[in-house]
Amino acid sequence: MSPIPQSACEDLADVNRVLAGDVQAFEGIVRRWQGPLVNMAWRYCRDRGRAEELAQEAFIRAWRGLAQWRREGSFSTWLFALAANVFRTELKRFPTVTAPMESAPEPSGPALQHRDLEDRSRHEVLRRAVLALPLRYREPVVLFYFHEMDLAAAAQTMGMPEGTMKARLSRARALLRSRFPQLESEHAALHFAGKEA
Amino acid sequence: MNPESMDRILATEEELVPSSGFLASVMERVQEEASAPPPIPFPWLRAIPALVLATAVLGWGGYEFARFALPAAGELALASPRISATLVTPLKEAGWVAGSLAVSLVCWLLSSRLAGRSGLL
Repeated sequence: MSPIPQSACEDLADVNRVLAGDVQAFEGIVRRWQGPLVNMAWRYCRDRGRAEELAQEAFIRAWRGLAQWRREGSFSTWLFALAANVFRTELKRFPTVTAPMESAPEPSGPALQHRDLEDRSRHEVLRRAVLALPLRYREPVVLFYFHEMDLAAAAQTMGMPEGTMKARLSRARALLRSRFPQLESEHAALHFAGKEA
Repeated sequence: MNPESMDRILATEEELVPSSGFLASVMERVQEEASAPPPIPFPWLRAIPALVLATAVLGWGGYEFARFALPAAGELALASPRISATLVTPLKEAGWVAGSLAVSLVCWLLSSRLAGRSGLL
């Protein structure tokens, strides 16, 4: 039997204390999960201020609905699912300003002297292109990479079967590939140039 | 772009550290929520008689409407309205316009629904 992680025990203890009327015990939960929730919200909107607002809203909803957490699942799973729900709803109400995929700038040709800078800007373009995906494909991508490519965890957070998640991820990747067809050849060129040097 | 490089780019994201006041602001809101008075429950005891009364009034109104208005409407329908010949053509055209607008609306709704399902919207 696998040991229960330390944070899971702490979560359980804090939840019990909060439900018994100790409001201050919620601080432990916020302290442990503020980083993951703010980072998750950041991936949804790529706006730091908005990400903190969204994470705060998720914590408030968690506070209100703490009694609804069924102990058979882990607290983190419940919290992430709740947060995803909050982010989805809030971003539908007040969407972030995202450019359509077609207007995302094309990556320019490789500049070997500034490869780091080039890479960073190309990566940022790709990350922003994810935000321009239709919501049904964007969210699986966001959650899949947030959960460090753990398909099951991402599917649990979205509350959908793994098969559906996989299909949407595949479609999202195809959409991104169609947007950046030359990145593959560029990557190969850089790789080749690096070997030559 | 090959899947590996896409995975590598999207999986490596710089960690964002929450601002120093984040924890305090969340706890402040939690304290506000905790100290707020509980929501006032819906006064069912008072509402039920009012609902019963409203239902009775509406039911009675419906009954009276059926008793008086429907036979009167039947009588009115028997006397067919006379529409002048000059009005018939514009009415016909207006009908066609309304019909084509309705068809356009249905097409638009159907196409946006299909596009929404396919993920294009």
